[in-house]
Amino acid sequence: MRVLQRVEAMTWARIALCLIVFVFFTLRDDRFFTTNNVFTILEGFAFLGLAALAVGVTIIAGEFDLSVGSAAAVAGIVAVSIVEEISLVPAVLVTTAIGAAYGAVQGYLVHRLKIQSLVFTLGTLIALRGVAFMISGENTVVMSDLSISKSVRRQLWIVSPSSLVTIAVFVAIGLLLRYTRDGREIYGIGGGRQEAAAAGVAVVRPLVLAFALSGSFAALTGALTSIKSGSAGPAAFEELLLPAVTAALIGGVSLFGGKGSVVGIAIGALTLRFLISGLSLEGAPFYVLTLATGAVLIVVVVLELVIGPHVLRARWQGWRNRRRWVAEAPPL
Amino acid sequence: VTDLDLTADAGGGAVPSAGVSVRNGLMPVVVACAVLGFLLIGWITTPEFVTYSNFQSIIRSAALIGIIAETMTFVTIAGSYVSLSVSQTAAMAAIAFAAFLSWGWPVWVSVVAVLAIAAAVGLAQGGAVALGGNPIVVTLAAGAVLFGSGAWLTDNKTVRTGTDAADWIGTARPLGVTTQTWAFLIITGISALVLVRTRFGRAVTLVGANRSAATAAGLRPGRISLYVFAVSSLGAALAGVFTAAQFSQGQLDQFDGADIDAIAAILVGGAAIQGGEGSATRTAIGAVFIAALQNLMVLRGFSFGVRVFLVGMAILISVSLFTVMRGRRRLA
Repeated sequence: MRVLQRVEAMTWARIALCLIVFVFFTLRDDRFFTTNNVFTILEGFAFLGLAALAVGVTIIAGEFDLSVGSAAAVAGIVAVSIVEEISLVPAVLVTTAIGAAYGAVQGYLVHRLKIQSLVFTLGTLIALRGVAFMISGENTVVMSDLSISKSVRRQLWIVSPSSLVTIAVFVAIGLLLRYTRDGREIYGIGGGRQEAAAAGVAVVRPLVLAFALSGSFAALTGALTSIKSGSAGPAAFEELLLPAVTAALIGGVSLFGGKGSVVGIAIGALTLRFLISGLSLEGAPFYVLTLATGAVLIVVVVLELVIGPHVLRARWQGWRNRRRWVAEAPPL
Repeated sequence: VTDLDLTADAGGGAVPSAGVSVRNGLMPVVVACAVLGFLLIGWITTPEFVTYSNFQSIIRSAALIGIIAETMTFVTIAGSYVSLSVSQTAAMAAIAFAAFLSWGWPVWVSVVAVLAIAAAVGLAQGGAVALGGNPIVVTLAAGAVLFGSGAWLTDNKTVRTGTDAADWIGTARPLGVTTQTWAFLIITGISALVLVRTRFGRAVTLVGANRSAATAAGLRPGRISLYVFAVSSLGAALAGVFTAAQFSQGQLDQFDGADIDAIAAILVGGAAIQGGEGSATRTAIGAVFIAALQNLMVLRGFSFGVRVFLVGMAILISVSLFTVMRGRRRLA
């Protein structure tokens, strides 16, 4: 029970950190907490949050999908090429479905070949980048009808259709992972694959699901972002992995697998967005943003090593074991 | 046991001695057959592919990535997967070298200073990994910090050496072969010797193959992590020095994608990503193979997208084959 309380405390610590970053920039800059800037933050959240969810769900399953950036680039090109012919909603749905199918195949192959997903997705990372260059003819694909772009990024108070979609996806996936059997099985194979298999989980099912989710979120990120800007380049989204992993890890997704929540990922993505937005308002160039993201990632990794739930649990158990030995020791 | 769990026994660790002889027997044969078959196809379809001058240019183009891959092989064999910070390390080294020269430092002082900085950067990452950090995430973060701080210090501008004192490092051709090629060959030779013939090399292999056994045998896996990341960092820095000397300038985006190329060379060479298995010569063959594939595709007039796609497919096919072969052996 006490362990649970500590894990719970970590979530509170994350929320607190998120609020601290928020309050810090609110006090520092008048422009930070305004309707327009909160809108900008949420727009960025739509981009970063989906990417973090894509990476996060595979890490929870004990795997790693390096190919999200390339998948998003291909999806962006596909979405921008078809959106004017089949209109907005079908284009986004079709692109997301392609992403899901790609992810499912990838997950199945990872399972079937018993290959490390890190290695396999490195191959698809390169191959899909090639596909992006092939289908775009090595040029940026642009939309001629920009009214579609405008309809996606239309500002309604602090939200837009794209950030509303993202929030809806977060709610749906949060429910899926927490309350459905499939969702629990993803945690199961991430926390202990052999134990899960021994307990009767057909490992292939949650594995395919995790990669399908990852592929569809990557595709959705690519489609929404590209349609929003009205163009898609074959070299886009190359730097997607760093902020996505950072947001997921701030949100408490454990690299040991089996740990993390959608709420946590949302908090992590928001925290990183606050930081990036605050720094951008002060006129920081892109490389300072990269520097800040990398520094935050290092801090998170070191913190997980020093005060993470794993470490705390190990210490707690060590302490308890010592107590037990003391208690069970024969009287002198 | 999840794929990302470093503390677990890496796969292949418990292979009986009969398996070891198969490992050493079959893998090079497969690699050699693939390379020969590829050369044959190239020779039949494209006669100018198999000429002495073309071979020279293939090796030359493989040299820098080869040096990076060769030194990163230590990281992979030690069970720390790969380093995602080598392109930034190389770029940082190039910038630092150019800056030192432009301040009027003697060439050898500049080289030593750059290598010292690179070693420190590598040791820092190795330290984080030794503490239990995930190598992928640690190096991803370190790369972001290196890039960000490099761009910050230089205002994201190209740094010129302002002298021709170091040009020979990048442009000399002793015995008609470029210095980069010499370095690649020499480093391959040294790495092969160190990995097979020295105590350190065997310790690296044992730590990668079976961490618990290595600890039980009195080795310190943490210390090995420190060393291998330092070696990898030094190799990347060397590539940076060569490039800065050749072009008399250092530039931040000069090595974009070098990490992926180097990892590709290691994987195509058949090293096991979970550690304990791999060889310096095979990584060199991997680097040359990819360079030759690129060269052949350029000669055949393939577009950039198709080339990237096919390199990705070559990686996917080779890693799948190697994994299936290893799986069979483990079952046998």
